[in-house]
Amino acid sequence: MAPLLAVTVALVLADSAVVTLALPDILQHLDASVGQVAWVLIAYNLVLGLAAVPAAMGFSRVNTRIFSATGIAVFVGASAVCAMAGSIDVLIVARCVQAIGGALALVGCLEQLVAEHGERRGVATWVTAGVIGTALGPVVGGLLTQAISWQAIFVVQVPFAALAVPAALAVRPARAVPGIAPDRHRPAVRANVTLALLSAALTAALFLLVLLLVQGWGRSPATAAITVSVVPIAALAARPLARLLQPPPGVEIAVGCFLVAGGLLGLALPPSANLAWTIAPQALVGLGLGLTVDRLTFRAMEMRLPRARHAGWTIGARHVGVVLGLAILTPVFTADLQDAQVPAQEAITSLVLDSPLTPQDKIAVAQALGSELTSQQGQVPDLHPAFAELNLDPEERSAAAQLERDLNAQLERAATRAFRDSFLIGAGLALLALLTVIPLRRRRKP
Amino acid sequence: MSAMPRWVALPVAALVLVSGVVWVQLANGGGTYEPLHPADACAERAVTSRDDGIEGLAERLVLLGIKDAACSLGVSREALTLELAQPGARTDAQIDALHEGLLSAVGRMKKDGSLPRASELVDGALDSANLNGLLERAIRAIPDSVVNTALKTDDVLIRAIDDLDLRALLTNLGNQDDLNQQIEDAVTRAVKDSLTARLRNLL
Repeated sequence: MAPLLAVTVALVLADSAVVTLALPDILQHLDASVGQVAWVLIAYNLVLGLAAVPAAMGFSRVNTRIFSATGIAVFVGASAVCAMAGSIDVLIVARCVQAIGGALALVGCLEQLVAEHGERRGVATWVTAGVIGTALGPVVGGLLTQAISWQAIFVVQVPFAALAVPAALAVRPARAVPGIAPDRHRPAVRANVTLALLSAALTAALFLLVLLLVQGWGRSPATAAITVSVVPIAALAARPLARLLQPPPGVEIAVGCFLVAGGLLGLALPPSANLAWTIAPQALVGLGLGLTVDRLTFRAMEMRLPRARHAGWTIGARHVGVVLGLAILTPVFTADLQDAQVPAQEAITSLVLDSPLTPQDKIAVAQALGSELTSQQGQVPDLHPAFAELNLDPEERSAAAQLERDLNAQLERAATRAFRDSFLIGAGLALLALLTVIPLRRRRKP
Repeated sequence: MSAMPRWVALPVAALVLVSGVVWVQLANGGGTYEPLHPADACAERAVTSRDDGIEGLAERLVLLGIKDAACSLGVSREALTLELAQPGARTDAQIDALHEGLLSAVGRMKKDGSLPRASELVDGALDSANLNGLLERAIRAIPDSVVNTALKTDDVLIRAIDDLDLRALLTNLGNQDDLNQQIEDAVTRAVKDSLTARLRNLL
């Protein structure tokens, strides 16, 4: 039973970023605007963030098995509707319902995992499943989008989660712990604030990086998915590293925030559009993720009752953090991409004017590029159609091919430059998270 | 002396890792991976063309002319090109700068000896001109020395540039046939005027 519940937790949290690489396909397939398609991502995180605490509050009044099974069933049903959505509005509404089901499922699964494994192992399983889901979401989403379609992201979730419904109904309820008042502990404000800021920074890392790879550098969703898999792999290496060096939890969290900030700084400064330049910065982000998110979640929940409510606060903090990250970063990089158009156009003009083509071919290239750039307003343009339609002499073709490569290199440069500020803001959010970890004053010795 | 606390190892390792990654990125040009910046329009720039004939000459003239015009307008060559490529009204300053830029390009090419002699342009001009066969053969039969004595390239070009309606020319940028016709008319008139002036001087 427990593995299915853990998979459900991973699925619900993976859904936070699973559609990131599918957004361009969704935009095209559902004929949506960039603003609308962003809500496919934002709506889920916002609703999950806002619903988590109320779900946890309602939890105490309902039978655990029914609560969990209902949440998972709603999540399954909404996932199926997402897969079948014929319009962007239906998809966004289904994502909201999916998030409500997800919030119920997360709270219910926590209690059921504790009932199955005991307090320590149950919470650890719940937290670890969440971290794995969060880190793997964009990778799995990208691979499914490339291999099958964006709908496949939602279809594959249905059987896994559907199997978890009977599993949730079969778990024996935990015995109540006598003598503990239900509202005994306040939420761990500092740990949750750190979690929110760090989630905002991690959103920058995952969301912006996949956008840069796919939209800016023209890589396929599958290539982007494989590239960003460095983050979850590095996250797995974080725990053995922490075990080896045995730092206190506070130091571990602070170092994790610093590593995320350093990784984002590295992503802001790639020397070229070669994917290899993203690997080391991503490894830093992954290590930071592995050192912080589970440790912070434990810290926010440790010895606090009722457990479900504090779990709700951590879910709320993480997903409100994701929304905060998207809310801060989306306008910044959208404006920066807009601003990058003029330098990119000037660089393209310079290369076309100085290209070793005949005057007639230069004019033909300029006209083809002009109409292509006009038709692709609002996104990083694909220049290949402009070159493909040219009728060039055989001796001109190699020069035109070289020009196309040079122009694409300029576009990659412009896109990379446009993402720089957003990555730096992400690094700033991680440093802000680091500041919240530093103790305000020393405890006096007795 | 107390030993260094064990927990210091992780922060030190993190510091080394982050510094190392950022240093490698910066050392390989990380901070400067940006689009090509337009060159200063007032700086000297060598201009070449794949075409040796009239079209190559026109290309070099236009490239130098736009560069000089951009310099006098205080913008980059690329910014002015993009602006002129857009449909819409041109300012008097742009038209004047372009006119002056083209004239200055002729002067510079004459000075550096890159302006071809008139005889080198006759074949190309006749290929694109729509003359009757007899007249075309007659012109081709004129010895180069006579052509070069009768016509000076810089004089023809300056007359053609003065004659060109640059505002109308820029409006027709999207229509290659109209553009060619306007330039051809201006060059033909310039050749006639240059020959007439030459004859007048001889008489």
